[in-house]
This record gives sequence, C-alpha cells and structure tokens, in this order.
Amino acid sequence: VSNKTIRVAALVAAVGALAPALSRAADAAQLERGKAAFTYWCATCHGAGTFENGRTLAGTTSLGVKYKGTNISPVLEERTDLLPDYVKAVIRNGIKGMPTFRKTEISASDADAIGAYIARNFRN
Amino acid sequence: MQGVVGADWVFTSAEDLEPYRDPYSLRWGDADEYLASGAVAPDSAEQVAAIVKIANKYKIPLYPISTGKNFTYGGAAPTFTGSVVVDLKRMNRILKVDDKRNFALVEPGVAYFDLYRHIQEHQLKVWIDCPDPGWGSLIGNALDHGVGYTSTAFRDHFGSHCGMEVVTPTGEIMRTGMGALPGADSWQDYRYGVGPFVDGLFGQGNFGIVTKMGFWLFPQPEGWLTGTISVPNYADFEALVEEVNYLEDSQLMTGQTNYSSPLNTPGADLAALMANGWPGDAAIEAYAKQRGGPAWRARLQFYGPEKSVRANWEYALERIRRRIPGATASNEEYLAVPLTPEQERTHHQVNFGIPNMQIYNSIARRESDGPDGTPDGHVDFFFVVPRTAAAVHRAQQAVYEARKATGFPTQITPFGGPLFWHQRTFIVGGPTVPNYRDNPDKNRKSRELFEAYIKYAAAEGFGEYRTNPAMQDLLVGEFSFGDHALLRYQERLKDGVDPNGIIAPGRYGVWPKHLRESLGKGTARAKGAGKGADKGKEKGK
Repeated sequence: VSNKTIRVAALVAAVGALAPALSRAADAAQLERGKAAFTYWCATCHGAGTFENGRTLAGTTSLGVKYKGTNISPVLEERTDLLPDYVKAVIRNGIKGMPTFRKTEISASDADAIGAYIARNFRN
Repeated sequence: MQGVVGADWVFTSAEDLEPYRDPYSLRWGDADEYLASGAVAPDSAEQVAAIVKIANKYKIPLYPISTGKNFTYGGAAPTFTGSVVVDLKRMNRILKVDDKRNFALVEPGVAYFDLYRHIQEHQLKVWIDCPDPGWGSLIGNALDHGVGYTSTAFRDHFGSHCGMEVVTPTGEIMRTGMGALPGADSWQDYRYGVGPFVDGLFGQGNFGIVTKMGFWLFPQPEGWLTGTISVPNYADFEALVEEVNYLEDSQLMTGQTNYSSPLNTPGADLAALMANGWPGDAAIEAYAKQRGGPAWRARLQFYGPEKSVRANWEYALERIRRRIPGATASNEEYLAVPLTPEQERTHHQVNFGIPNMQIYNSIARRESDGPDGTPDGHVDFFFVVPRTAAAVHRAQQAVYEARKATGFPTQITPFGGPLFWHQRTFIVGGPTVPNYRDNPDKNRKSRELFEAYIKYAAAEGFGEYRTNPAMQDLLVGEFSFGDHALLRYQERLKDGVDPNGIIAPGRYGVWPKHLRESLGKGTARAKGAGKGADKGKEKGK
C-alpha cells in the first residue's frame, strides 16, 4: 500500500466524517434563514400571543377554529405534522383567507428555508 | 425584457403566475377573470423605463403593482387580461427619513412594516400612518387613495404625499413638484412646484408608473387621549355629528372618531323592529326608549402634549353637553408616548402608527360559520357620505335595500355608525361581499350584490371612494355628470400621454382609444350609464 493510497484513503475518511457535520451546519444555517423569513413574512399572522381585546393573530385564530378539539397547535412554529412541500404549496397558492406570496416577496430559497423551519420538529 | 432585468425576474410559467391572480376575485375561475400573461420585476426606475419602451414597441399592456397586497381591490392581478404585471416589489429602498422636517422618500416595494422598523431601528422621532394591513406599500396604498388611523393630516395617504418620480407611458423619467427643479432640496417640502399639478393623475390612474414618492410624517406626539361621549336620544345624533364636525374642522381634535350605537346590539326587540322593512322615525324612537340607555356614542381621540389634549377633551365635553342635554363622558384614558410594550400590545395599534395584520381576523375561520364554511375572502364596499345624521341614515337604508333586493340577509339597521377616515367626509360600508375559490355560483350572487350596492347608493347620490377592478367600469359610469364629461376628459388625456394605451388599460374605467372602440359596451360610459339614477326614478314612481 503506497503512502499516496493511504493519504487518499485518509482524505476520503475525513471527508466522510466531515459530511454529516457540514450537513448539520448547512441545516442550521437554513433553519436560521427560515426562522428569519418566517418572522418577517408569516409571524405577523401566525405568531403566538394575544393582542387588543384578547384576540390572537389572524392565522392563529383561523387555525385554532380549524383544529379545535384536536391536539394540533394553532401556532405554526409549534407544529409537528407539517412537511416542507406542504408549507411551500400554501405559500404559493394561499389557503382560505390567506393570500398567495410571489417569488419577488418570498424567493424560492426562502420558501425552502421556511418549509424546513416549520418542518424541523416533524414527527411521524 | 430578460435583457433588462435578468432571466430570474421574468415570470411566464403557470406556477409562477398563480400568485399574480387575485385570490379575492369575484370572478375566480370564470372566463372573464382578469389574468396576467407574464410578470417582470425591475430593480430601478431606469429598468422600468426600459420595460415601458419595449412594451411600446410591441404594444404590450403593462400593469404596475407595488407590493401587490391591495386585496379586496384587486391584489396583484391586472385590470385587463393579457397584461404583463410590472412587479415593483424589488424596488424596496427607503431613500430618506427626516425627523426634523418630518418626511420620508421611498420606493414602491417598501411596506409599512419596513418603514416602521427602519424608524424604530434608527430611533427617529416620527410616526407613520398605516392602513389596517401593515404589509402593503406606502406608494401603492396612497395611489389607491388608501387611508389610516392617526391624526387628520396623515390619514389620507394620497393627501399626505409630497413629490413623485414617475416613468411616463413613453418611458421618460419625470419628477413632479419641486423635484422638477434641478438642485432643489424641497421635493418633500412643497408639493405643487409650479404650473398644473399633475400628481392626481397617478392616483387610481393609468398615466404612468410611480417609482418614488415622498410622504409627510407625523412628528411623534407627546401623548394620546381618548374619551367617549354618549347621548341619550336617537335624534341627538344630528347635533352630536355637528359638534364633532366643529371640533375636527377647528383642529381641536385631530384623532379619528368612532361612532356607534348601543341600540345596534342584536336581540329579539331589534329583530322585531326590522321585521317589516325599514322602520319609520316613530318606531325607531319607541324602540330606543324601550331599550333605554344612551342612543349614540362618539369615541374621540386627541394627540399632543398632555396639557393640550386634556384641555381639548374638557372643552369638547363642555361644548357637547351645552348642546345636548344628558350627554355623558366615559372611558377617558391618557397614554404618554412612547407607549410601553404592554400598552402597544393591548391597544388599537394603528391609532399609534404601528403596522400589524389584526384586520385579517375579520376573514379568519369562525366557530359560528355555517354549513357553507368561511368564505375565502371578501370585497369591501365603502362609499362617501356627507357628515350629517340624515345622510348617514339614507346611506344605511340604501345598503339595506340593495341587500333585500338581491336576497341577502339585510343585517343593516338604523343604528350603524359611519366610519371616519378621511378629513371632512364619512364613509359608510355595506357588509363585506364574500368570495369563494370553489363556488362560481356564490361568486355570481356576490357580484349581483355588489352591483346592487353601487346602483342603490348612486341612486341616493353616494359613490365609493375606491372599488374592486371587477366593479370599476360600473362605478365610474355612475359619475356621469355632463354626459360623462369627466371620464371623456380623462380619456383624452390618456390618448395623449399614452398613445399606444399600454399602461394599466381599464384601471378605474379609463380605457385607451383602441380598446374603447373594440370593447364597445365594456367601457364605463356604456356600462354605468347612470343606472343608479334610473334606480332612483324607479323608486319615485
């Protein structure tokens, strides 16, 4: 076995070991981006808390009615049943009173990031 | 156009164009729904000018949008199918905010949220005035004659603008007012410049694409005070309105007034009053006496130093009590500015220039929704009514009759209060008109209701201050004085400055010559043709 082969094998092993770490770092960056985009574009309707006259935010109110009697949270950031593709479809197509968002507002990569952020706690 | 903005910013696929449909369209899925053929998103006025020149060369209709959030008034959809939407959202620069001369200069893509955050981050001592939804564009909202909730001088958003940059329909970049004078530093200080004032053409118009606009801002007041005045009799509404008009027009009270009546709360006695049609004055007074308690309330709001607002509130109370025996005061509250986070959370945020999205609760799902479920959206009907009790009552009755004639639950009573956004006029609203993305029959019924609203209101001399694109021809057609002299004048201007008719054809009933000829009856003049007036004649028979 030549030194060169060992060096290549070591490099491959190192990259292999690094890959999950890099992937996790990329995930963390995407989740951070997703959280920022969610805060800017979505949280004004889908956030938590109560406001004037004790009312919740509009999206949270609407989902509270939709999921009344279930254990599904009306607050999107607390959901554990949403996958990225569904989130992205709702962004682009709207649903009930929620209008659509164009790519000039939420770019494709921001939509991916929001999808990943909302799906971060997904459980089967 | 890709050569101007880059391939990433031209949209032609069905998937990319879906968000350029109006999700609150009353024509959703119908053959006559207004649809874009493409969209292009420039990043500068120069790019807008280049797009306009290309559109002229190939005779492509363009429809400019700012943030595209003008829902119930069309959203991001055009007013003429086949138009290419010029999506200005990428032009989102806050160019200047001055808290010494109290103005801002912004691009069309700047939302109320954006300017508010900028002011907070830079700790500037100015307030913005925002409409109910905070995600809209300052420029887009002002150009559609949108309104807000703080002090009189700022609630009319077009009225508080100062200076524009406009790409003309032939692709020149023009500045209005003092902006036309090279080297002038007063573009946002004095709006008229010299000569004919053309800014009004760009409000609800199709005479150019606005790429920059200045707005006067409210210097952060030291405090805010509110108090409610209640009057005992139904007939006291007339005097109450007159006294509040005095306070407002004298600028002793510059906050928004909220009128309401405790007699409007649902109950068997109210249902009985309305059971046989619109009640007469004697029946209304008898009902009011039977219910007891005050008949009307006016919630007043004041901005300014504590000493001033307390003195003005006391004077308002004294003046109204002098005129209306039995008037009482309640719910007085003073807050120093800036508010605490807790005060911000629990108060009506738009009264403090804080943008938010709480208005969307009005179209959220409700537990009380019937078997048909929650509509997918709604379209607003708000019309201009003089500030008198008699006019408000006539306006309420017109809405009532329109709903009755189209088979909708009437809902309206003689106890509805007018809205007060603009300076010197009331707005009265009809119950919102629902839209559905899965039920064309219901949308058709909604269109019938909306058309009846316009006609029954016009028969009484009332007209909306803005409307959904599906109704613009009809509404504009009702403004028919002198055989539609105003519209014909606007059409001549349109033909002159936009010879190829490429900018927003049909917006607010103004169609370019070639489409007027080919559309024939589709034009506002033919479509409206004083149907409201005819409705009035029918009533007189």
